[in-house]
Order: sequence, then structure tokens, then C-alpha cells
Amino acid sequence: MFEYAPAIALLPFVSFLVALSVGNYMPKKGAFAGIVAMGGSLLLSVWAFLRVSGGEVYNAPDLYTWVAAEEITLQFGILIDPLSAMMLIIVSLVSLLVHVFSLGYMNDEGETGLPRYYAELGLFSFSMLAFVYASNLLMAFMFFELVGLCSYLLIGFWFRTESAASAAKKAFLVTRFGDYFFLIGVVGIIATFGTAQFAGEGSFPVLAEHALVGGEGSIDTFLGLGEQAWVTVLGLLVLGGVIGKSAQFPLHTWLPDAMEGPTTVSALIHAATMVAAGVYLVARMFGFYALSPTALGIIAFVGGFTALFAATMGVVKDDIKRVLAYSTISQYGYMMLGLGAGGFVAGSFHLMNHAFFKALLFLGSGSVIILMHHEQDMWKMGGLKDKAPVTYYTFLAGSLALAGIIPFSGFWSKDEILFEALHYGLGNQPLLLGAYAMGLIAVFFTGFYTFRMVFLTFHGEPRSDDARDPHPVGWSVKIPLVVLGLLATFIGFVNMVPVAELLNADIEFLHQWLDGPEETITSVHHYEELLHNENAAHYVASDIGPYLPGALSLALALAGAGLAHKLYNVPDPEPHTEKLGSIRTLLKHNYYQDEYQVWLAEGVTQPIARAANKFDQTVVDGAVNGISSVSLGSGQRVKRIQTGIVTNYAALLTLGLVALLVVVGLYGGWFV
Amino acid sequence: MAPPVEYYLFLSAAVFCIGLFGILTRRNALMFLMSVELMLNAANINFIAFSFHHGNLTGQVFSLFTMALAAAEVAVGIGIILVLYRNFQDMDVTKPATMRW
Repeated sequence: MFEYAPAIALLPFVSFLVALSVGNYMPKKGAFAGIVAMGGSLLLSVWAFLRVSGGEVYNAPDLYTWVAAEEITLQFGILIDPLSAMMLIIVSLVSLLVHVFSLGYMNDEGETGLPRYYAELGLFSFSMLAFVYASNLLMAFMFFELVGLCSYLLIGFWFRTESAASAAKKAFLVTRFGDYFFLIGVVGIIATFGTAQFAGEGSFPVLAEHALVGGEGSIDTFLGLGEQAWVTVLGLLVLGGVIGKSAQFPLHTWLPDAMEGPTTVSALIHAATMVAAGVYLVARMFGFYALSPTALGIIAFVGGFTALFAATMGVVKDDIKRVLAYSTISQYGYMMLGLGAGGFVAGSFHLMNHAFFKALLFLGSGSVIILMHHEQDMWKMGGLKDKAPVTYYTFLAGSLALAGIIPFSGFWSKDEILFEALHYGLGNQPLLLGAYAMGLIAVFFTGFYTFRMVFLTFHGEPRSDDARDPHPVGWSVKIPLVVLGLLATFIGFVNMVPVAELLNADIEFLHQWLDGPEETITSVHHYEELLHNENAAHYVASDIGPYLPGALSLALALAGAGLAHKLYNVPDPEPHTEKLGSIRTLLKHNYYQDEYQVWLAEGVTQPIARAANKFDQTVVDGAVNGISSVSLGSGQRVKRIQTGIVTNYAALLTLGLVALLVVVGLYGGWFV
Repeated sequence: MAPPVEYYLFLSAAVFCIGLFGILTRRNALMFLMSVELMLNAANINFIAFSFHHGNLTGQVFSLFTMALAAAEVAVGIGIILVLYRNFQDMDVTKPATMRW
């Protein structure tokens, strides 16, 4: 029984209201309201998780009917299946830990505006949780937008600094640009299928599947496209929103700037909530994407490219949070690659692992920032290893997971993603091989920049007074780090594909979990059938073993880490990246992505807008003003008839009557 | 032997035209009012003549109504003329021409 399921999302909403209204009068300025609410959400999520593992899937698409028309009903509902149950736990756990960490990062540092901060965190958690268990695409879209709004509010938390305000605006506008396509996609899907449900009989993936694979029924296409092509178009439109939110190329530019927000917010945004929303949406409607090889190929290629592209930029950054920002973009690229390569389990697995180790790394960097008295430049750090062992070892665990070193969690999922890409790439999808190659090279860069960050921050000699005398951190900082450190280290063991093959044992727990208690249209088994069906994606697997690719990616990660060790794990490291010359300049400027987007806005959009404005001002307004001035002028003339003298009126009246009589007489035939 | 109905109509048309002429030419407000009365009574003559011609009492009843209406109209009209006189010390209807645009 899932009667309490709505409370999972509503509890943080209550904490939002509480923190907003009475936060100022509460101890810790509303933090406890948030912590209690998130704790409640976490417990309810675990309970939902247990129920799902007991064999129940909760699909209540009609909890509230919003619009009931003849052909289309728009409803709010809840869908808790294995995927969303897993994601609910991730979101509520990370959010809870971020709330606890905020006690140390925000309250103890004497920030102002804390009730607003905790209220926004609550609203953020509410929107993300509601997004996760949304039962239809329209509801998902609405909460997707709400997540975007909250990220705007939180990134701009320190809105008095100009850079934070502008970063918040940028994050909002860039993701809105992608969401515009998403909105068209939602309307297209509702217009095509008459429903936006994710799961169950009569949901849009099922209808599309019946039409394409089963040959039962047909779907109305538009623009004269074939059924498969139309499904691809719809999938790509929705993908626009995904690319914006999950910061994939070319809409990734907002994410590094989003580091202007508090570090706790970065942890929440980049690990479990906003950025994860995009990838989660692809996983949520994987049954739909699996029908279209083109859409899958584009997802994989964009993902692989973004993974490499962002990893190279991370190499030259000096700000610890910026390095993590680029690693976030890169890791989400991996998830997209995994999903596009048909690895539903692999992508979801990496989504989970990344949520934990990236939350850990961001909170760890938050701890470093406290230690360093709010200094973020890694060249001013160094030697923090012995002074802050808890931060160091947990951060190291996160870094090992991020770099993909065995046996930390990131290794297992990244390896599985690359294996899936190679697996089908060698089968019959040569495009995936290109994406695989980019993902593989990115592994090397990931290892390098991750350990460059670790060595610069924690090893060597302290390079500033702040690093020699760090500010101590409290329990509220250490507890979340330890919890996440343990998770980042061990969570990967839930799905060790190579080990399972080696031992021939049945230990792919995540795979079994996502397969669900019985076969439904959202279980992995069904997705794989679709993937191999020649009327759907038609992926053909090759018979390559998992060991060689795994060893290759591990070797590359170790090589990257080793290079970083050689260059930076010395008492007095030098800025070696400066030797890269013009390449460094290019990377420092992020491949001039911001510049070209600004040029697009100023050089293309602005003239068009100006021309449209001109048209509006002259043609449209001219027509309206012309009509009014003509009637005004004629009115000015005609009013002279009104002399004010009664006799004239009487004369006019008489003349009018006579004229009327003459007309009626002429037409009535009186004079014939 | 009653005279034919055309005679009455001629009488009525003549009275109406006198009234109309008065309205179009006179400036004195009282004359104005009298001319309006003439026109109303021309209509009354028509009513009664046709009523008599058709042997039907409806027209006569209508003319009674018209007389009541005319009485009311005169009451209002005289009131207006009094106010007019108080404001302009005159009864010339061409004088008050300010209540226009």
C-alpha cells in the first residue's frame, strides 16, 4: 500500500513553507525543519523501496485530474517502479546530507539569509522528488521547470555579487532554451498519442511500440514523416530539455558558472537533483528511445563527445570547484553515452554512483573551502592531508571513484558503460565506436585532472598561510562526508559485471532490481528485447568479453593518475599546464564556447529581434494608429453638425424624415 | 352624412405643417411649445378620423393617451422654459448653445 507516497515530496514542501514563514525565529534558521522533512522523505523512500522489492509496483496515474477533455485528460499521478524507487532514495539521502552539511557550511560561517536558503533547498528537494515519481511527461515537465527555477534561486543565493546574479540568469536561460524544445516535444507526444503516461497499458511508449514493432494500430504522424521518423523527432525534441538540464554540449556553458552558488548547492544540483534530472528522464522513457536507433545514436554521440570535451577543459582549471564542475559535465556525458549505447542498467548505475561520489567531492571541496578560509584556488592550498584527515580520506575515496579506479564505485559503472558502447559498436553500430573512443580517451583525462586536484589540494607543502593554519571543521561537516565516502567506496559492488562473468555468479543485483519483480514495460528485460528488435533500435551485440575493455580503461585511468602523481605529487609543484601554450589558452577559455554563444545572441538573435521590433513599431502599430487617427479626424469634422441650436436639430430631424420617406417611397413603389 | 375622410386628412396635414413651420422658424420657446402641441393634435385628428372611418374605437382611445402625453410634455417643457428664462433672462431658443461638444 502506497497511501503515503505523496508525502515523500510533500514533506520538503512543508519544510519550504515553514522555513519561509517562521525560519527566522527557529534555532538554526530553519535547518532543522529541512533535516526533519528530508529524514522523513528518506524513511518513506526506503519504505517504498522495500515495498517495491516486495513485488509491488505503484502506478497511480490519476491521483488528481487536472483537465478532463474529450480525447485528452491531463492528470497528476505517481509512478514508483524500481527505477524511481532507487532515485527517490538517492535524492532524499543526498538532500538530507546536504542539509546537515549546511549546518557547518552556512550556519557556522555566519551567512545571512539562511531562512531563504533552507526554504529554497526544501522547494528544490520537493520539485526533484515530485519529478522523479511523476507518472506522466507533462507532470515531469512541470517539475523539471520548477527544478530549473530553484537552481536559479540557489545559484543566485548571493545575489548581491554581480557574478552570482549573472550566473543564475545564465543557468536559467540556457536550460530554458533546451526546455523550449522539451515543451514542444511534450505537446507533440500528447497530440500524437493522446496520453503522456510513462508506464502501464496505454502509455505512450507502449502505443509507439505497438505501432512500430507489433504492427498493431498506427500513430498519427505530422509533417509527412514516417512513424519511425516521427518517433525519432519526438524523442529528439524531448532530448533538447535533457541536453539543457544535464549540461551536454552545446548547452553545457551554464554549469561551470553555477559554481557561484554556495558549495552545498553545487553538491545538490550536480549530484542528485537538477543535472541528474535530464539523464533520469532519458532512463525514464527509455522504452520510447529504444524504438529509434537514430535518437539513441545521437544520445550516445553527444554523451561521448561531451565526456571528452569537458574532461579536457577540466585539466587546466585552478579553482577546485571548477574542476569538479567540468568533471560533472563529463560524467553526465558518460551516462548519456551509456544510455545511448543501449546500456539502461549501465547508465542508471552510473547515475547512482555519480550521485554519491560527486556529492562527496563537492561536500569535500566545501570542507576544503572552510579549511582554507574561503579560498578556492588550488595553487594556494597544499599539505592539507595531515591537518584534515577525514576530509582527505573521504575526498580521496570520491576521487578514486571519479577516476574509475578499481574497486571504487565509479570503476564498475564507467567500465560497464564503455563495455556496452564497444559491445554494440562492434556489433552493427559503428557510430557507437566513435563515441566509445571519445569516452575512452576521456578516462585518461579524468584520471589526470582528478589527481591533479587531489595532489594540489592535499599533498606537498602548504603554499599559503591559510593552508598552514586551516580552520577546523565540525561534526556536521564530517558525518555527511563519512556516509558518502562509504557509499562511494562500496556502492559499486551492487553490479560488478566482470566479476559476475568471472565467477559465473548471480551478483548483478542492480540489474535484477531494475528488472523488477515481474516483467513490465519498464523492466530491463523488455528494454533489451526492444533494443535487439529489428523494427526498433536493432542493436546487434558482438561477442566480446568484458575483461579486455575493462583492463584498458583501468590502465588509462591509472596512466592519467600516474602522470598527475609524477607532475604534481611533489613538495613544490609547478604549473605544468602552462607548457601547453596555445592549447592551454584554448582550454582556459573553454573552447570559446561562451564567446560564440554570446556572439549568437548579439550577432544573430539581437538583429532579428530588432527587425521584429521595427516591424511591430511601424507596420503593426502603424495600421492600428492609422485607423484610430482616421476615425478621430473624421469625428472632428462631423461634430460641427452639432450646433447646439434646437431649431437646427428640428430641421435635421425633418429633413431626415423626408429623406426616409422618399427612400421608402422609391423602393416601395408609391410613385409608380 | 359625414364628410369623407380625406377632408379630415387635409385638415390634419395643414395643422401639422403649421406646427412644423412654427418649429423651424420661431425662436421664442413658448411658440415652440405651442407648435409642438399643434403637431400632436394634427396626429390626434388623424387618429379620430380613421377611427370614425373604420368604426373602431382604438384610435379614439389612442388620442386620449396622446392628450395625456401632451399634458405631461407641456409640464416638462414649461419647466425647462422657466429655467431657461432664469438663466438667460430670455426665451430665445438659439441663445443656449453651450451644451454641445
